[in-house]
Amino acid sequence: MTESEQLDATFAALANPTRRALLARLVRGEATVNALAEPFDMTLPAVSRHIRVLEKAGLVTRGKDAQFRPCKLNAEPLRVVANWADQYRDIWEDRFDVMASVLKSMKEKP
Amino acid sequence: MSDQQSWVKIERELDAPIEDVWAMWTDPELFKSWYGPMGMSVPAAEMDVVVGGTRKVCMEMTSPERKMSMWFTGVYKEVWKPSRLVYTESMCTEDGTIISPQSMGMPEGTPDITEVIIELKEVDGKTVMTMAHVGVPEGSAGEGGWKQAFDKLAELLAAQE
Repeated sequence: MTESEQLDATFAALANPTRRALLARLVRGEATVNALAEPFDMTLPAVSRHIRVLEKAGLVTRGKDAQFRPCKLNAEPLRVVANWADQYRDIWEDRFDVMASVLKSMKEKP
Repeated sequence: MSDQQSWVKIERELDAPIEDVWAMWTDPELFKSWYGPMGMSVPAAEMDVVVGGTRKVCMEMTSPERKMSMWFTGVYKEVWKPSRLVYTESMCTEDGTIISPQSMGMPEGTPDITEVIIELKEVDGKTVMTMAHVGVPEGSAGEGGWKQAFDKLAELLAAQE
């Protein structure tokens, strides 16, 4: 996946309250699909579908244990999103550096 | 502002009177002098700084291979000289038609409209400037989107540290 495709997938995956709740649960540690499904008023297949979306976005990885295959959070795609937001901060910081020097030169020659 | 997600928020202390800092944002010629860092220039800026007035800014990036122009337009929502200025920002074509950020190669999830909020306060002859650039969730209300995604993101990243 390119970084742009990764961003698309991450945003799409996060734009759903069930999936965000699943991720919030996984922050506390890995869990099986059954355990993850428990708090939801939802069928197991429905929860599994949400987990597959998270998996495709790279936000969740599944263990090898054939029977339980516990889900685990992978925060890396979230960092890509955070870095992307940081670029905007850098642009503004650079702009304000220039603004400060323009103001300084205005002060020096009124 | 409480229903919106701060995207970028920066506070700066500038060694200048508040009127001069206000002019940096509202005088097109002065605005051009600082708004385009890092190889970008601002060849055009039009600003009708009244509530409901429009603004249009062109940013140009020139590299040896090519020249790329990006146009931004928006509306002034609040104008409280010299202490508070709020305007919206969207990508647009040269004639001012709003275009989606995705069509310009920005990632899915980039909001069509963002808002820039500037607050100025004079302290001992210097000016404290706070700038917030926020995403305005499309249609707002309901799920989907920017604010929730970023709230969650911040939470998850904090938990991972």
